[in-house]
Amino acid sequence: MTQPLRTLRLAAWLGWQLETNWASPWLFAIYMVVKPVCGSLMLVCMFYAARAAAGAKVPAEFLPYLYVSNACFGLIGTVMFGLSNAVVTDRERYRMLKYIYISPAHFRTYFLGRGLARALEGTVGGALNIAAGLLLFADLRRAMGGEGIDWLWLVVFLGVGSAMLWAAGMILAGACLNMSRNGMFLSEGIGGVVYLLSGVVFPIAVLPVWIQWVSRALPTTYWLEGMRRALMGPVPADTPILRGPLADWSNAELAGMLALTTAGLVVVAHYFWRWNERRAWRLGKLEENAGV
Amino acid sequence: MPSSLRLFVDAARARTYPRVAWLFRSRTWIFQETLLPVLGVAAFAYSYRAMQAPEAYTGLVVLGAAMTTFWMNVLWGMGAALYWERDAGNLELYVMSPAPLMGILTGMALGGMTTTLVRAATITVAGVLLFNVPLQPTSWWALAGVFLLTLTALYGLGMMFASVFLRWGREAWHLVNLFQEPVYLLTGTNFPVSAIFPKAVAVVASAIPLTAGMDAMRQVLFHTPGIFPVWQEALLLAVLSVVFLLLARRLLRNLERRAKEEGKLTIRWQ
Repeated sequence: MTQPLRTLRLAAWLGWQLETNWASPWLFAIYMVVKPVCGSLMLVCMFYAARAAAGAKVPAEFLPYLYVSNACFGLIGTVMFGLSNAVVTDRERYRMLKYIYISPAHFRTYFLGRGLARALEGTVGGALNIAAGLLLFADLRRAMGGEGIDWLWLVVFLGVGSAMLWAAGMILAGACLNMSRNGMFLSEGIGGVVYLLSGVVFPIAVLPVWIQWVSRALPTTYWLEGMRRALMGPVPADTPILRGPLADWSNAELAGMLALTTAGLVVVAHYFWRWNERRAWRLGKLEENAGV
Repeated sequence: MPSSLRLFVDAARARTYPRVAWLFRSRTWIFQETLLPVLGVAAFAYSYRAMQAPEAYTGLVVLGAAMTTFWMNVLWGMGAALYWERDAGNLELYVMSPAPLMGILTGMALGGMTTTLVRAATITVAGVLLFNVPLQPTSWWALAGVFLLTLTALYGLGMMFASVFLRWGREAWHLVNLFQEPVYLLTGTNFPVSAIFPKAVAVVASAIPLTAGMDAMRQVLFHTPGIFPVWQEALLLAVLSVVFLLLARRLLRNLERRAKEEGKLTIRWQ
């Protein structure tokens, strides 16, 4: 048992060092704040642009919805992109993937450790993003201060969400094992699709009905709804524009469905990774470098 | 043709080739670099629909997504290119060979433009058809002219980035990352800059070719109010193109000189 734990600890430490020690601490702190906050501010600008054009049709509650959703989604993007990027950089830049594979370290545990480092980075980034939003926007302060944060449900959704993030990251990392360097752009593309289907910046009721069913098959949809509820409480009844098909679900129902869909994702991730790992080993992909 | 000019053209053609050939060799790009970004764009389009914004706003998002592909190519395909070439072991060959670095970067730019143009066109066509974007350009010629000037200025900036990022070493990867969201915000990728930012901020943001280029194209295509009139933005883009290309040439000469004097430029993993 100590062997996998040691692999996990060292991989997480290596991942953290790779992500952080390229810059002085102050530059890294700026990097951690600027990137996610600018992403959220772009959505805020979209909100104000639409409000200026459409007037009172856009309720003020739309702004906290956008902001909090986007901040939470940052965690999904960081872990998903981080794991596939770990495959590409370890193979192509540091050229050590093949050595990790033949070493006694458990290959999958190594990537779990790398994912932990990214998850920590994403969590800190998300928290700073929300803190900046609270500082800048009264609408966000009102939304989060209304019912207060539901800490218990926040822990539940973060806990189940961690398994979901790891599984999603491993699926993409598995695919990258058999792709060239441009495989890391796949995670950005998939991230964009998940961004659309999970209703990050709009309630999924806006989507065509058949796409809504695809959305409801994704654990990320339930996770984001749960995170929004834990941080801001349920959507107010007087804002029908923000009420999607999950608006009437209880927190327990959301958590149950999240756990169920996450379990399905974990099973898929397990078999998909195993198939990709074997294929990459058989075809020599673990040491293949692309010089495009 | 003078030998130096022929060398420049040959180097540019040779470096254009692998980027264009990649279009036909690695077909997975069709899925991951056209279809997936279109779906990503759809999120912002649906967001505007949920907020009941005018239809033209969906057009802003589609145009923003198409132009963003060029910015991404400038950052990753140009800015980080020499950095990756060093990792692949090609940079020392470039510096030692008689081929001018400016010619090699021009080839990268032309190849990158070609592949990105396919991607941007796919996003635009799919976005316009999927979301019924109303297109009523005041002049196709003005649109084409502004587009070409934007690309020239953007890739000139990319050539500058190439030599600057190389000197930043391992920080470059993260700094390229850092140049994404703040630039999307400043350039108004998904919203009209002049409707949100104070005039002074909009004017400063116009130093990024993407801001002036997108603003001018939006004025032509969707008749949205702009930071400056179209002709002034076209003039600004022309000036930026010349300045960036001259600066890029100067920086590359400096890079080549230091590479030969210090002999440290090709040390990897620093």
